[in-house]
Amino acid sequence: MAKLLSYNALKNFKEACAKEISARKYCIRICMTGCKAYGGEEVKEALEREIKARGLTKQVEVRETGCQGFCAKAPVLTIDPLGIFYQEITPADAADIVIRTIQKGDVLGHLLYEDLKTGIKMPTVNQIPFFSLQNRRVLKNCGIIDPKKINHYIGMGGYDALAKALNGITPELLIKEVKKSGLRGRGGAGFPTGTKWKFARSSPAGPKYIICNADEGDPGAFMDRAVLEGDPHRVIEGMIIGAYAIGARFGYIYVREEYPIAVEHLGIAIDQAMEMGILGENIFGSSFSFTLELKKGAGAFVCGEETALMASIEGKRGMPHTRPPFPAQAGLDGKPTNINNVETLANIPMIIREGAKWYSSVGTDKSKGTKVFSLAGKVNNTGLVEVPIGISIREVIFDIGGGIPKGRKFKAVQMGGPSGGCVTEKHLNLPIDYESLQTIGSIMGSGGMVVMDENNCMVEIARFFLDFTCSESCGKCVPCRLGTKQMLEILARITEGHGREGDIDMLLKIGEAVMQSALCGLGQTCPKPVLSTIKYFRDEYEAHIKERRCPGAVCESLVISACQHTCPVGTSVPKYVAAIAKEDYIEAAEIVRERNPFPAICGRICHHPCEIKCRRGELDEPVAIRSLKRFAADKYFETAQRPPPPFPKTKSRKVAIVGAGPTGLTCAFYLARMGYPVTVFEALPVGGGMLMVGVPEFRLPKAIVQKEIEYIEQRGVEIKYNTPVNINFTLEDIKKQGYDAIFVAGGAQKSQKIGIPGEDESLEGLYYGLSFLRDAKLEKEIYVGRVVVVVGGGNVAFDVARSALRLPWNGDGQREVHIVCLESREEIPAFEEEVEEAIDEGIFIHHSLGIKKVLSEEEKVTGIETLAVASVFDEEGRFHPTYIPDSEGFFPADTLIMSVGQAPDLSFLPPDSDLERTKWETLEVNPNNLATNIPGIFAGGDFVTGPTFIIESIAAGRRGAVAIDKYLQGDETPVLFVDEKEETPSETVEEELKDVEEEKLRVKMPTAPPEDRIHDFREIELGFTEEKACEEAKRCLRCDLEK
Amino acid sequence: MKPEKIDLKKFASTLEEYKEQKWSLIPLLQKVQEEFGYIPPEAIEPIAKALHLFPSEVQGVITFYSQFSLKPRGKYVIRVCKGTACHVRGGRSILKIAKRELGVEEGETTDDYQYTLETVACLGACFLAPTMMVNKNYFGKLTPPKINSILKQYEK
Repeated sequence: MAKLLSYNALKNFKEACAKEISARKYCIRICMTGCKAYGGEEVKEALEREIKARGLTKQVEVRETGCQGFCAKAPVLTIDPLGIFYQEITPADAADIVIRTIQKGDVLGHLLYEDLKTGIKMPTVNQIPFFSLQNRRVLKNCGIIDPKKINHYIGMGGYDALAKALNGITPELLIKEVKKSGLRGRGGAGFPTGTKWKFARSSPAGPKYIICNADEGDPGAFMDRAVLEGDPHRVIEGMIIGAYAIGARFGYIYVREEYPIAVEHLGIAIDQAMEMGILGENIFGSSFSFTLELKKGAGAFVCGEETALMASIEGKRGMPHTRPPFPAQAGLDGKPTNINNVETLANIPMIIREGAKWYSSVGTDKSKGTKVFSLAGKVNNTGLVEVPIGISIREVIFDIGGGIPKGRKFKAVQMGGPSGGCVTEKHLNLPIDYESLQTIGSIMGSGGMVVMDENNCMVEIARFFLDFTCSESCGKCVPCRLGTKQMLEILARITEGHGREGDIDMLLKIGEAVMQSALCGLGQTCPKPVLSTIKYFRDEYEAHIKERRCPGAVCESLVISACQHTCPVGTSVPKYVAAIAKEDYIEAAEIVRERNPFPAICGRICHHPCEIKCRRGELDEPVAIRSLKRFAADKYFETAQRPPPPFPKTKSRKVAIVGAGPTGLTCAFYLARMGYPVTVFEALPVGGGMLMVGVPEFRLPKAIVQKEIEYIEQRGVEIKYNTPVNINFTLEDIKKQGYDAIFVAGGAQKSQKIGIPGEDESLEGLYYGLSFLRDAKLEKEIYVGRVVVVVGGGNVAFDVARSALRLPWNGDGQREVHIVCLESREEIPAFEEEVEEAIDEGIFIHHSLGIKKVLSEEEKVTGIETLAVASVFDEEGRFHPTYIPDSEGFFPADTLIMSVGQAPDLSFLPPDSDLERTKWETLEVNPNNLATNIPGIFAGGDFVTGPTFIIESIAAGRRGAVAIDKYLQGDETPVLFVDEKEETPSETVEEELKDVEEEKLRVKMPTAPPEDRIHDFREIELGFTEEKACEEAKRCLRCDLEK
Repeated sequence: MKPEKIDLKKFASTLEEYKEQKWSLIPLLQKVQEEFGYIPPEAIEPIAKALHLFPSEVQGVITFYSQFSLKPRGKYVIRVCKGTACHVRGGRSILKIAKRELGVEEGETTDDYQYTLETVACLGACFLAPTMMVNKNYFGKLTPPKINSILKQYEK
């Protein structure tokens, strides 16, 4: 290669290079950096072989590029000029790519990106939202050119800015331009680059140094790595311009040795630049000379701190020192030194080439340009993303990143790694810039974004970061050295279930102290992950400390298996699933009953939080835990020979339960099991509460509820039906009958009114959700017109709508059922399964629509007046609907069913009762033992909390039973449920664990087809066959057996 | 099998190469480690002498940086990523399985000097989490069965 001795020489050479880039008709660009970790190299070789075999080498170029960004789908490639993007390619695809796509122009469907929401396949790059929503400036060449070829860089306009600068722009003017551009340090601190350069320039002459900080040590960040690997010359060009601006003669790139490809590509780039006279003496024939050297880091996170980095370059231990003196005054070797981050320098060439005005056309007032983020963790489209500063976090994670995998809920995103903080759901709309993120205790940082979902534990994440900073602390200053250690110890004991009262405050105290007194930036920021997780997830800390519960089901010392830990009653899921696999169904049902007396009911309608946490879900799909429970319970009732014996009554003190709903019956069942004589008082002639009268028959048949109640009665629980507790028969009266403790579980049975004009309960055709469901379930005669409108977006609203659809209609035309709800499709609170089933059945859902007025004529409902919803939740994520002005509409209806919420009904308690109430008209109880202010009276379930899930009601009943037992025994310790591990002989473990890990999707629950099922109330789900149940049970990974 | 004693001749020429360079301690240590797989403790004194440092200074630098090892390492160095992204995607079980398969703890080498198991702060391959590296090769989207098959590739 000949040296380029002038600006003109570069211009001429550029033309030749540009031709070289597009010399061949087709170019297959394949990532040879990140994708290498996923078989990219084998794919490339296969493609080359194929092209050679077909004699196409003159027409088709296979180009090794840097990262194309869409790392989630590695290995990826793009075919120019067709613009076709293929993902997750294997060497076996090579022949098809060459023959079918290149030679025949066919698109290979199985290699295309499929839109996550619509399932539509997208052949070209510009269709895929991941790419089309980005603004790639710094990454312009990344994934396009071959980073090992300087000709490619020059052909794309590279080194033009440098030549331009050396050909007549004074250093002062250069600095002015950079200042004007508004570029701020991309390493995280955000200091204006132009100002930094000015300091270094105005320092008395040296030799001066310029350093590129490529010690990207933040776990979770890989932007710099991608730039260094994919476009190293851009960084070098930025550095030479910077050197010229400040007057530096020598430069160093300090790069992590953990990035071998970056080291290799930088080495090649430096050699090439030297060879062409772009580095060395008299660059481009000018009087400016600059020497650049690569320094490999040796694995110390603290070396990302500038003073430590300089110590490391000097061959010493990488320990920071206090500033001042700043590097610009006395840095490397005591000489003026300027340090910039990789991405900062990569921004420089375009500022000089295109001008500050162009550059600052994107960004916010205070932060200009774009920022590269590395998106990782629990997000669909992991990869490299470049967006204008000021875009919202939501757009990055959900629009570009495609949201959270496997339908799980977003919990937080950690920004700025161990120096940053987490951003929660309620701040997702915050613009990403330096200042906004600081206000909520996070930082923009260098660009690492690690997304966490509901299956992550925030305490454990804080522990993770502290573990990191503790082991990376250089040890020079006491606050960091000891502070991290102390915080880590406290966090470790919390995650191990030994947290103490006061630990949270102690963490806050130490954290503040370290922030204020540590020597360097790393020490000063290391408590941030702890402080920010405490700020936003204090409840998780408290759950660990007070209840030894890990809400993410992660902490190993507290969790045996995630499913069991997540189950509100702690059902030993792996054990009963294993029993099913061994075809011991009676045993399986009894294992469930250890914690839950309603296996057949929960097997049908539980919202199964266990499945969300199921570890098998990480591999392919979660085990169908709920359906297996149903199978075991049905089998039990089918095959159990004789009724179970009553529990022996070993205790003399009697307990009364008010209400035979799930909470009351559960409490009664477990007290009976402990040996107490228990009586349940129920107002209705039937038991089961909401199960019997609130859940539609097609989801939960009455006969099933009846069987489970009978089982409980057979075990010795006495239920007195038609015995309402009211002013004539008070809690006092019950006490007088000799009961030593009373548990009140009255449920939440009052439908809430919306409270809008025209909502008059006496109107013909106006119903409320719960009473409607009760009448439907008890097969009372209800008249429902042709056009039914259900108002509400919760599960009850869907049950109501689907019940209304099934009620007979003999008039003209077809029955129409409409659901009108405030929420959008994404926000709707009802379960996804229920929404989908409703849609399948032909129910119309009108999203983002509110109700303003009920319209009626002659005491009959005629319709509703609606309003379009602007937003349902406020900035903080609280329910606070706002409407679009003047958006009134009319919706005709013959029948209107309000289903906007249910509440406990305390009217049966005498108004002068001493029981303490909350301001929301519920009972005030101690959340740990459910005790009211009157000794011996306990209350729980929906009656206290308002409507919740069936399994939560059962959990409240079980908690009540344990608490009442403690009360009667005089035990004042708090109620604590801890997962207990049983010893399993190791040969059993070996036996159980064999062949469970191959990929196998879960068995689908068979259901009646929509067209058949909408005519009556028969159960929709048909249940597993024995063969399918055993097959499914064998998919369990048996986390409980792991050591 | 245990690595042989260090090749003194090769070591002397390496020393010669770095002796006169500025700030050469870390690059020299990197070179020694690359050549011998570790930094033999007996090399500390000659290095110190050549660079006009105290042996304690050399020792101090070696122990400060996680890259350097004073113990011989295996033919294949397996580095399991402990980065944030790997962590939130279940990296801990990867380490657990690697330990079980190799029968060594973090930082240890198998008796036959075939494998050394290490952890690393972040490999920067977060998009493919959980990840690990075997010598200079990256492996991503790891699952328990995959680790077994990767380790098999490197069997003698």
